[in-house]
Amino acid sequence: MDHFLAILSAVPVTLLVTFAAFALGAVIALPLAGGRRSRFAVVRLLTKGVIDILRGVPPVVFVFILFFGVGSDLIRWEPLPAAIVGLGLISAGHLAEIYRGGLMAVHQGQFEASAALGLTSTTTFSRVIGPQAFRVAIPGMVTWLISLLKDSSIVSTIGVAEIMFVTSQGARSSGEGLLPFIIAGAVYIALGTPLAALSRWLEKKLSFGRRA
Amino acid sequence: MTDPQPKAGETILRLNDIRKVYGDHVALGGVSLDVKRGEVVAIIGPSGSGKSTLLRCVNQLEVPDSGTLEVLGSNIDFAGRVSSADLLALRRKVGMVFQSFNLFPHMNVLRNVSFPQERVLGRSREEADKVSRDLLERVGLANKMENFPQKCSGGQQQRVAIARALALEPQIMLFDEPTSALDPELGLEVLAVMRRLADQGMTMVVVTHEIHFAAEVADRLIVMADGAIIEEGVPSELLAAPKTARAKQFLSAITDR
Repeated sequence: MDHFLAILSAVPVTLLVTFAAFALGAVIALPLAGGRRSRFAVVRLLTKGVIDILRGVPPVVFVFILFFGVGSDLIRWEPLPAAIVGLGLISAGHLAEIYRGGLMAVHQGQFEASAALGLTSTTTFSRVIGPQAFRVAIPGMVTWLISLLKDSSIVSTIGVAEIMFVTSQGARSSGEGLLPFIIAGAVYIALGTPLAALSRWLEKKLSFGRRA
Repeated sequence: MTDPQPKAGETILRLNDIRKVYGDHVALGGVSLDVKRGEVVAIIGPSGSGKSTLLRCVNQLEVPDSGTLEVLGSNIDFAGRVSSADLLALRRKVGMVFQSFNLFPHMNVLRNVSFPQERVLGRSREEADKVSRDLLERVGLANKMENFPQKCSGGQQQRVAIARALALEPQIMLFDEPTSALDPELGLEVLAVMRRLADQGMTMVVVTHEIHFAAEVADRLIVMADGAIIEEGVPSELLAAPKTARAKQFLSAITDR
């Protein structure tokens, strides 16, 4: 029971890291996805490189680089911001590709119809292309959110007091190896399941036309 | 639909020496075309003849490599850069209907017609909806306004697309093979709407394979092949006695089926 309460008390930190990193990534991913579709080959190549790096480096390595590397020499990073920025940047790489998939799913005719009607490019993206791309992207975004929730456990290694950090501490101090980790696993499942359900619900709710 | 324009005769669209090249394929090899107010021009020709490309040059969905375009008094020279303000101004005067309808799938029929009016003409939602309802009734879709496009037949979708373009009060309407994606029966609904529009005096340029529609409705028929206009004239005369061998061959291919 003590383990359970201790782990439960760390849930807000896990959720904070997960959602803050997701939000950060979701915003940074926008210019990255845009850059992948740039008219200029240099921009396309550059953003592709950035995305590949963000996606190619394991989260734990990335967080360590930020916390130990950047942290010791240049700026003093607290564990929490290092965790959020690290996971946020990785999220940006993945979400940029998810956005790109959404954009590619929008029929070319939608761009042409918008242009022919005399809509400005801002209106075209915010009201015509964006909403359609977003619908296609949502399942992928939620899938990423769920894996981010689980991956957030790695920031325990830099001392963020989230679920995994508290669980390890409890396990060490009490000597009960198995139980705390089983509880932690159950808590992750309990947190992730509603998200998976949300994804299925959104997918059903938002599917129109072509895929229905 | 917009008020009939009684002063026919004035040239409101002039394409001059339009060239468009893709790689080493010459899509348009210096095509010129004048369209008068109230005139209905039908363009036919085999696929790859450049007829759709020509139409798309009028509202700049394709940017020609060279040539000039004059629409309702404003001039564009493609040798230079076209400003986006000029582009928007041009597109506001010219409506376009596509082969694949291109309705917005995330908006219902009424929103499809109202939304561009709000954005382009600055109409309020009430004003725009009033115009939309009126237009949708006229194209026979009074009972479809709340439906989403994918719940409508192709013919219905194309009529929505026509209403959407007309709601912006264009002075010229471009039709790019508007019935090619439709079953013959559904195509007739669309052609009926287009015929009525022509009767009301709308200036129309129609790329089509509907030879009967072209014969009945068009004031002028243009035959294109290999990026050039090879023949043009009064539809009945041209269809009865094409002068060039290429036109003869194409016409017999589409009328013999």
